[in-house]
Order: sequence, then C-alpha cells, then structure tokens
Amino acid sequence: MSEISLLPIIAILPFVGALMPGIVIRAGRNACAAFTAAPTLLALVMLGTLAPSVYDGTVYTTHFSWIPQLGLEASFFLDGLGLMFACMILGVGLLITLYARFYLSGDDPMGQFYTYLLLFQGAMLGITLSDNILLLLVFWELTSLSSFLLIGYWKHLPEGRQGARMALTVTGAGGLAMIGGMLILGDIVGSYNLTDILAAGDQIKASEWYLPALILILLGAFTKSAQFPFHFWLPHAMAAPTPVSAYLHSATMVKAGVFLMARMWPALAGTSEWFYIVATIGLITMVLGAVIALFKDDLKALLAFSTVSHLGLLTMLLGFGTKAAAVAAVFHILNHLTFKAALFMSAGIVDHEAKTRDIKQLGGLRKLMPITATIATITALSMAGIPLFNGFVSKEMMLEEATHTVWWENPWIVPALATLGAVFSVAYSLRFIFHTFDGPVRDDYPAKPHDPPFGMYASPAFLAIFVVILGLFPGIADGIVGMAASAVIGETVHPHLALWHGFKPALYMSIVAIVVGIVLLLLHRPLDAAWLAAPRPEAKRLFDDLIRGVVGLTRRVNDVLHNGALSRYLAIFCASTVAIGYLAYSGGGLLPATREMLPTPPLAIVAWALMVLATILVVVLHRTRFAALIAISVIGLVISIGFVYLSAPDLALTQISVETVTIMLLLLALHFLPKETPVESSIGKRRLDGLIAIGSGLGIGALAYAFMMRDFSSISGYHLANSYEGGGGTNVVNVILVDFRGYDTYGEIIVLGIAGLAIYALMETLLSGPAGARLRNSGYNNDRSHDRHPLMMVIAARLMLPIAGVVGIYIFLRGHNEPGGGFVAGLVISIALLIQYMASGFAWTTRRQRMEYHGLIGFGVVIAGLTGLGAILAGTPFLTSWFTYIHLPPIEEFEFATAALFDLGVFLCVLGAVMLMLYSLSRLARHSGETVNTEPMDYDPSKAPTFFEDGYRTEEEGR
Amino acid sequence: MISADLNIILPEIVLAVYAMLALVGAVYTGKDKLASALLWGTAGLFVLVAFWIGTVGTPGSTAFDGMFIDDGFARFAKVTILLAAAAVLLMSEGYMSARGLLRFEYPLLVALAAVGMMMMVSAGNLMSLYMGLELQSLSLYVVAALRRDSVKSTEAGLKYFVLGALSSGLLLYGCSLIYGYAGTTDFAGIIAATSDGHLSVGLLIGLVLLISGLAFKVSAVPFHMWTPDVYQGSPTPVTAFFATAPKVAAMGLFARVMFDAFGGATHDWGQVVALLSVLSMFYGAVAAIGQTDIKRLMAYSSIAHMGFALMGLAAGSELGVQAMLIYMAIYVTMNVGTFAFILSMERDGQPVTDIEALGMYSKREPGKALAMLVLLFSLAGVPPLVGFFGKFYVLRAAYEANMAWLAIAGVIASVIGAFYYLRIVYYMYFGEDRADALDGGKSPVLWGFLMASAVIMVVGVVNLFGIEGAAQAAAATLVN
Repeated sequence: MSEISLLPIIAILPFVGALMPGIVIRAGRNACAAFTAAPTLLALVMLGTLAPSVYDGTVYTTHFSWIPQLGLEASFFLDGLGLMFACMILGVGLLITLYARFYLSGDDPMGQFYTYLLLFQGAMLGITLSDNILLLLVFWELTSLSSFLLIGYWKHLPEGRQGARMALTVTGAGGLAMIGGMLILGDIVGSYNLTDILAAGDQIKASEWYLPALILILLGAFTKSAQFPFHFWLPHAMAAPTPVSAYLHSATMVKAGVFLMARMWPALAGTSEWFYIVATIGLITMVLGAVIALFKDDLKALLAFSTVSHLGLLTMLLGFGTKAAAVAAVFHILNHLTFKAALFMSAGIVDHEAKTRDIKQLGGLRKLMPITATIATITALSMAGIPLFNGFVSKEMMLEEATHTVWWENPWIVPALATLGAVFSVAYSLRFIFHTFDGPVRDDYPAKPHDPPFGMYASPAFLAIFVVILGLFPGIADGIVGMAASAVIGETVHPHLALWHGFKPALYMSIVAIVVGIVLLLLHRPLDAAWLAAPRPEAKRLFDDLIRGVVGLTRRVNDVLHNGALSRYLAIFCASTVAIGYLAYSGGGLLPATREMLPTPPLAIVAWALMVLATILVVVLHRTRFAALIAISVIGLVISIGFVYLSAPDLALTQISVETVTIMLLLLALHFLPKETPVESSIGKRRLDGLIAIGSGLGIGALAYAFMMRDFSSISGYHLANSYEGGGGTNVVNVILVDFRGYDTYGEIIVLGIAGLAIYALMETLLSGPAGARLRNSGYNNDRSHDRHPLMMVIAARLMLPIAGVVGIYIFLRGHNEPGGGFVAGLVISIALLIQYMASGFAWTTRRQRMEYHGLIGFGVVIAGLTGLGAILAGTPFLTSWFTYIHLPPIEEFEFATAALFDLGVFLCVLGAVMLMLYSLSRLARHSGETVNTEPMDYDPSKAPTFFEDGYRTEEEGR
Repeated sequence: MISADLNIILPEIVLAVYAMLALVGAVYTGKDKLASALLWGTAGLFVLVAFWIGTVGTPGSTAFDGMFIDDGFARFAKVTILLAAAAVLLMSEGYMSARGLLRFEYPLLVALAAVGMMMMVSAGNLMSLYMGLELQSLSLYVVAALRRDSVKSTEAGLKYFVLGALSSGLLLYGCSLIYGYAGTTDFAGIIAATSDGHLSVGLLIGLVLLISGLAFKVSAVPFHMWTPDVYQGSPTPVTAFFATAPKVAAMGLFARVMFDAFGGATHDWGQVVALLSVLSMFYGAVAAIGQTDIKRLMAYSSIAHMGFALMGLAAGSELGVQAMLIYMAIYVTMNVGTFAFILSMERDGQPVTDIEALGMYSKREPGKALAMLVLLFSLAGVPPLVGFFGKFYVLRAAYEANMAWLAIAGVIASVIGAFYYLRIVYYMYFGEDRADALDGGKSPVLWGFLMASAVIMVVGVVNLFGIEGAAQAAAATLVN
C-alpha cells in the first residue's frame, strides 16, 4: 500500500466505523466502546506512519475526481497543520470514547451515541485533511449536522432545546455564508484546491473581491468558533452530555473556525482588513468571555465562557498576522486542548458524582474526591496561566505579541486589554479550583460524591500529565509546533519554546494578572452581587428578542402584502408590471416615429370623449350595476363606431352584434345579483387603486401610440392579395374566417357550442341542487312592472321578426364579399328571437319554438365538418374551399363557394349557442318564482289591478 | 409530412388521447369507482412515457414548421415533469380517498396538465407556447378547487384563476407586441429579428410583458401573490403537484423562450430576470420566517427556490441553463419527499399542517424525523446534501456570468432561508411534546417516497446520479 493512498482511507475510516457501534451494542457496552475506539486507533496509527515524513516537510496529496464541473474534488492533503489537528482530533476522540463508556448510564442508548460521535469525528478529520475547499465545506457542514445530533442526544433536558436551536441556527447560517466566500476565492484563483489557493495569496489580496470573500469566510469561522457577536450560542449548547461538551466545545468543533483561519492564513492574512477585523474581534471576545466566565455558577458554563475567551485569544493571535503570533497560536491550540478537555471531563465527573454543577452548592470536594481534585487543579492552574504549567508558556507568548501590536496608532490598548483578559482568566480559573474543591465538606450535596472508577478519570489524568510535562519542558513541543506553524505561515520556522523568557514586559503583565486575579477572587462575593444587579445585555435574551422581532416584522410585512384580498394582489401585479415596463422603456432605444399623425376630425374627438366619459362613469357607477352596464354598452357602441371610422365595417358589424347579445345576456344575469355592491375599501385605498389603474392605462395607451406611429410589417398584404383568387371572396375578414383560418373557426364554433352546452348543464345541476332550493324559497318580491309585455312592444317585436330574418339572411349571403357572414347573421337572428322572448314572454315563445337549440349547435358543427370532409373527398386538404359560378335562369350568374356551406354551419352554431344560453338563464328566472312572464300580454288592461296594502300582487296571486 | 410531425409529438398525443378516452370511460361507468384504477393507470403511463421519451429515438427534430421542438432540453424537462407528476399522483391516493376527494377527474386533469406542460417545454412558437400554457393552467385552476365543499379550496381556485387570467392576458399582450415588432411568432424568426444583439423598445416591452406572464407561472416575486393562498387552500396532494411538475415546466418554458427567441439579447433580459431572482430569493426567505402553517411555508420556500433557479437563467450561459436544470431536478426530488412527509402529518385521521404539532416528533418516529431532517437540510442547501450542489451550481453560474452581486445576494438569502428550515428541525427534535401530537400517517407509499427522497439526498452526493451530464447535454441544445 503506498503511503499516498492512506489519506482517503484515514478520512473515511470513522464513517465506516460509524456503522459498527449500532450493531455491536448487542454484544455489550465494552465491545461497543472497543469497536468505536478501533477505527480511531487505526486512523491514528496510519497517521503515525506518515508523521515522520510530514515532520520533515513532505506534503502528501491525493486527488480523486468527484464532480469536476463544479470544481469539487475528493482531494486530501496532509501537512504539518493538518497532522497536528488530525492527531488532536483522533487522540481526544479516543480519550472521550473511554470516558463516555463510564460516563453514560445504562439507560442511554450508547450505540447511537458512539455512532454520532464517530460521524462527527469523521467530519472533523475531513476538515483537517481536505485539499479542496468545497470538500472542506462539505465536511464543515457535516460537523454542524452531526454535532446537532450529538447535542440533541439528551432529549429529555428542556434547557437543551433552546441551546441546540441557537447552535444550529448560528453555525448553519455561518457555514452557508462561507459557501459564497469559497466561491469567490475559487474564482479568483481559478482552482478550488487549497494548495493552489495558498500559493496565490498575493493574487487574492489584490482582488477587488477580497473583502467580500474575507467577510463571508470569516462569518463561517467566527460563528463556528463562537466569536463575538456570535459567542452566545456556545454556553447554551452545554446542556449536552459532558463527553460531547468536552469533545465538541473544547477540543474540536469550535477549533474548526480557528483551524480555518490558520489554514487560510497565507492566503488571507497580512492585510489591514484582516488585522482590524480578526484581531479586534478576537480581542473583544477574549475579554468579554473571561469577564462573563467569572460570574457563572454553572461549572460547565464557566468553562464554556472560558473556552470562548481562549478562542478569542487564538483568533486575535492569528489576526496579528505576524509569524511569532502564529507560532504562539499553534502552541496555544495544543495547550488549550490539553487543559480544557481535562477540565470539562473533571466537571463532568463532579456532575456525575455530586449530581450538581452549581458552584454555590459545591465546595470541599478535595477531601471527598482527591484524584479528581488534583487533576482539576493542575489543569485549571494551567488555564490560569500559572508558571510550570503549559498554559503559562503560551499565554506569555501571547502577551509578548500584544505588546508589539499597535492598534489604530495606539500602542497600549491591545496590551492593556490583553492583560485585562488575563486578569479575569486567572480569577475564574482560581474560582473553579477554590469554590469547588476547597473549603469545608458540606453535608447537603444532592448525592454523596466520591472518586469515580479508573476508566472515568483515566482520560483527564492522561491529559493532566501532558499539561505538566509541557509546562516544565516546553522545548519538547518545539518540533510539532514548528511543523504546524510552518504549515500555517507557509515557510519553515524553528521556534524555541521555553519556560523562561527573561524579564520582559510580558512577565510583568503576567504577574499583574495573577495578583489582580487573586484580588478579584477574594472580592468575588460583592462583585457577584454587583454583577447580578447591574443591567447587562443577556445574549440569549437579545437573540430571542431579535428572532421574535424579526418574526414579528416579517409577519407584519406579510400581512400587508399578503392580506388575502384579491384586489391587493391585482394592484401589486399591475403596479409591478407598469414599473418593469417603464424600466424597459427607460432603457432607451425607441426609434423616432416614422408616421405622421392623421388629422383628427371633431367627430372623432367627440366619440373619443364620449368613450372616456363612459369609462369614467363605469368606474363611478360600478356599485349600481344596472347603470354601470348601460355605461359599458356605450363604450361598446363607440368602439363599433371607431371600427367604422377606421374602415373596418366587418369588425364594426361583429362588434355591435356581439355587444348587443352580451349586454342582453348580462341584463338577464343581473337579475340574480344584488342590485348594488357594498363599499368595502377606504377612500385612500381607492385613490391608490385609481392611480395604479391610470398608470396602467396610460402605459398601454402610450404603447399603442408608439406602435401606430411607426411602420411595421404586416401580413394583411398577403391576405388582400390572395383572398379573391384563393378564397373566392372579396371580404377578406370573412375569407380569413372561413378559408385561410377555417381550421381555427371550426374549432371556435365547437368551443362556442360547448360553452352553450356547459352553461345549460351547469344550470341543470344548479337547479336540481341545494342552490335551486334556495332560489325557490327566496322571496321574489321586488317592485316590478305590472305590465311586463306592453302591447306596443309585442306588436313591434312580431313585426320585426320577419324583417330581422330577411336582414339576417341577407347579411349571411353577402358575407363572402361584403361585410357580413355567418357569425354576424347568427347574432342578428338571435337578437330578433331574443326580442320575442322579452316582448311576448317565455312561454308564448317556447310554444312556437320548433327546434331544440342543442340540435342547432349539433347541425352547425356537422355541416361545417362535412364541408371540410368534402374537400378531402375532392383530394385536397381538410377545409380547402372550392368555388364556382352558377347560372340559374331567373337570377343572374352568382358565385357559389363551399365556404358558404361552412359559414352556414357557423351561423347555426352561433344561433344555437346564444339561444341556449338565454334559455338556461331564463330557466333560472322562472325557477326562482317568476310568474308574470308566462303568457303574452297576460295583463288585461280592462281589469283593474288588484291593490293590496303592501302594493301590487301578481295576477296569479290575485286570482 | 404530417405523419412525420405526428410521430414527433406521439408521446403527447398518446397522453392526450388516453386522458380523453379515460374521461369518457369514467363518465359512463359510475364515475368515481374507477378513480383509483385511473390514478394508478395514469401514474404508470407517465412513467412509461417518461421512459419512452428518455430512451427512444434521438432528440433534435422539429414538427409543424418549428412550432414544436423535440430536443435534449425538452426531453430532460419532460422526463422530470412526468416522473414528478407520477410520484405526486401515487402519493395522493391515500390522502384523497380518505377524504372523499378521489374523483376520477383528478388523475385525468393531471394528465391533461402534463400534456400542457410537455407542450410548454417543447414550444417553438408563441402560439404553441400559449397553447401549452393554457392547457396546463386551465387544468390547474380546476385541480386547485377540487375540494368544492371547502371555502378555502374554492377561494384558492378562484384567486388562482383571476390572477392567472390577468397574467395570461399580459403574456398574450406581450406576444402580440413581439409579433408586431418582429413580424413573426416563430422563435427562430424572432431571434433572427434580434440578431444585432439589441432589442427595440417595442420588442423589449413585449418581452417584459411576456416575462411578467411567465414569472407568474414560476411564482417569482412580484408575481407570486397567488402562491401562498393556493398552496394553503388546495388539498395537500394538489399542493404537492403545484410545487413540483408545473414549476419545472414553467422554468423550462421560461428558458426556452429566453434562449430560443431572445438568445441574441441575453444582456437585456438577464437584468430583468436577475431582478426577479433577487426579489424572489429574499421575499421567499423573509416571508417564510413568520409562517406557522407548513403548506404556506412551503409556498414561500418554493418562491425562494424559484429565485435560485432564475439565478441560473439570469446568467444567460450554458452553465446557467445546466445549473437551472440540475437545480430544478433536485428541487423536485426534495419537494416530493417533503410533501410525502406533509401528507403523512395527521391526527385522528385529520390532516395537520401546524408546524408546532411536530414537537418531539423524533421521539415517536425517529426514522421519519431523520429523513425529514435530511430533506430540510438539503432544502436549506447545507453541504454535503444534494441540495447544496444545486445551489452551488447556480451561484457559480451567476458568478461566472459577472453577476457576483447576484451570487452574494443568493448566499445571504440562503442564510436567511436556512432559519425557517432549521426551525422545523428544531421542532421535530427539541419542540414541546404536545398532548395533541400527530398520530397515524402509516401509509407505506408515503413512507417509501419520503425515505427514497432522503436517501437520494445523501447517496446522490456520490455523483448526482449522473444528472449533470444529461443536464449539460440538454443545456447545450438550448444555448448555442
């Protein structure tokens, strides 16, 4: 096996291993733990085989193509930094596995826990080994996912809920932001491989997209590493079981952000943007975390804020951008890992044994659990930065660097604040020791504490040994720190870590920190009272308020925009269309007009004014439906006149017939609607709607104007040229209908027929259903004329019928050459019949009706269809028209076109459909109790109407 | 000649004829007795036709003088549409029949809508565009109001219809302007008329109106208003349908018109589409935050997702179209799974859509909760789940088309959007265990779809099931 191919195997081992615990748990808890430890150990051994050559400066890389088009590659690389982190992750993972074996109680599903733990470990390991930044992103978010599962492991704790949510929201969002940063970074360099990116630092820093990329990437890193102002999630995630806290929140996950900053150091660091963002945030976080930690009574919360503080310290060191600071950062990463993991585990032991983590309920444990107390004391002293422990060495280096740092031309602010952080750090560390383990033994512990079994304290003890050795002989870490720091910086460095640095400012700062820290601890009681009394922003509450505020705000915005009213939606729709139409227009590019304005005769202006007036009337009167309908009919008439004026008599004829029929049908339908629409909207809203309407209208008007003022190519020339020769007619519109686009017309008459039938069918169902019953029961008691069929109108209508019939036939026959045609003829005849219904009453007319309207529709469609089929018989495509000239002796020679037959079909279909609709509507009227309208002239003028006190009664009722 | 044309649209004809025959058959055989069989039959036919389109013959021909285009792009979209529609149909059965909604019209209307959608993505002419669009829309209007005895459902149908009619009107008006200024309704003719790379104002306004109409169909802000109401009001299976196949069809049509008819002026429409994209992403993300009804939330979620898909389109490049296609395919898969879950949310046999009812769901149904968790993370675009790849593709397409601002806006929108997906996860894993918790929802079909979808989100990480190659080929036929 070549060494290179070991890398992906190492990366994948934990994932494969994650399958095991769930299966092995049946064999017992020890087996389960062993099978969890096995892949970790194996990976560690494999890393160990690579370590010597990495130590000598070799960088291992392996590339596998994954989704090349996206730039995603399964490539791994191993350098000093990666090796150090990987070893840390695996090593602590091993210790945690052991610790958890004893920590978890018999009721906890251990298999599940170990599975999640291994998943998480794999994700972390992946981050450290990825060469491709997209792959890194993948592992990055995998840690979010698996940590969510781990944090959520103890579901029964209510306080865990909020914490898990915040952790997930904050880190998840940060990770997504990082996607954008990685995208930009990859694009600037032209490769998504870290090795390329690290080599292209100058190119990145020179790019105009450097700052956005930096901010997005730092968002990911800061949220993960709990930097201010995202620091609040970490302490609240502490409800998780202690092994999880120890692993995630001290050693590994929160270090991922720091790792990323270290990894990207050659590519991003060194600019003033980097310094001011990273170092400042780190400094703030360090001080803030340390201050808060002092006032936490929960052991784990104290440690959590201390972690926040130390992460801030690391961030600040990396932010300084100097080599020495980077070395200090690397060393402190190592030190923090050792003491903090041990501290968390100790706190967990205390919690496990005493059943409480509240410092105020503890104290005096030194005598009860001496081993734990020793471990905790050693590691906490290291956290405080007391000499002879490893924390001291790296803290010293940090203070040293701080003294060299000038912030905004101010040389003392960074050292001062760093010292302040150190002061509080000493104070809370000592508080951890003294308030938990010192003092008299109490008799009110929730449970009687004693030292745990060896397996449980083995892991922290192991780490404590490290703490001491590294503290006494920091030089032995020279190699590993140098190796990792070289990888961070990008060039080889050989640091010399030593306990004694000489009498330098850093030493004095340390002394000040220790002294003042002890003073603070002595004053803890009054300080604590003052802290509790002081108003201070509680991050969790702020977060909750922020979330609540945002949710409330979006709800309000949404309620305004999405209030469920159709009118609001339509208004937004129209306004947006006008707006983007205007945008398009303002883009320019309108060619100058190519046509002259035509002269406008006064009559045209009058007609136009009339139409505008009628439109305004419709708007004003629309609540009175009848009046509005009359105004609408005026508009229709003016449009028809307009067609005449623009030399389109066909259209005028059609328009006027359609107009008449629709108005009549609408009048009938009006019958069933309330007479008036209630006012529902305020005047302001109506004004706004009016503005939108005017805007849309003007827009469309402007479009039409612009369109008509310019030449455009049109197909009318073709039709004009071919209509007589090809279709045998001089009325182009009619020829288009029955010939050029006969197919369409054929389809249309079928649709019209279906519409008629559908109205009929709907009315049938309506009347037989509950709506019909309602109609029957509804009073039909409006004021009405007692003379529904005036004599004059009846006579006139009957006289009109034959005349209208002749006109209809005339219009039909001339249709092919002059304005007219089957469609218009159908409408004319329908109007004539409609008038009969209105004048003489429904019953009278129906009795004289010889043919069902359904049949008319059917005949129409069949005739039109057969005409078309005739063409196929004659060997031409469907609906091709054919015409000839026929000479029948008494009349002159005339033209006969098959199109006329087709037109007959159109005629019948239109007639049938219109009449069927009318019939259906009037059925509704009769159903609802209309009784007058059954007989022609059912009012006998010789008989005086019967008056009752409440007004008229109908004849029927009178009888 | 005509037989060659008919041969090309044979899949559509088969489906349409099937729908009409089945309609007549169902009317004459005691109506809803056949509903279940028809539903399975329709779904089966969808799968068959999808297989047929995907494997038989070579793409790249046109029918009816260019009115109908059968190319790789159309085929990709059609297969996605048909499979999504089949999945949703199968998921519907239990829900619909339990609530007495399983009418025989339902599968047939879906079939007709599918025919319309297939026409849409194959349209090569403004006429056939409109025809397909209306066939789809009319079927959808009816389906939205399928639950006639519910005020919400009828209101949804009515709103959808009125707004849809308005948008169709705008679209037609735009078409007529385009026809007026380009002198043809043929896409090939229009692109020839705009070959100098710049649109005259008349064409531009026509294009804008056309885009408005199409934006309505993909429910892009500010033409999205119907979406939440319709999603919430319609029966859940119908909502699931709305959220999947029609979205693919509308995006397909959008891309088709933009590239085939206005491909010479990508810059002109790219700006408008980018604007729609940004507005949709942000509004969808922000408005979803305050929602408590999961169907309404999914409506806003789909608005935001359409914003991302439009981002790919706005890029105006081959990579952009490919990204859009991949995005849509992934989006549909995720939505099928998510809606399978929503369909199984019930208590005492009644559907529940309140998010808080999911409190501590993970305790009762750990498997389903985990699957839903995967889907939600994927919807949020969290790596390494497949949803991330879709998002990254469009971001990258936008970035490489010199629209870095759009990509960054997309990243920010996805950060905001993550919040509400994660909120559901939070309820499932940490919410309060309420007394009126969900029960039931044991349908094996829904379970299967949920699990399959979740597994795809995880396993797809390996190579996206090779979909990117197909999408690339499809995009290449559209952008050339």
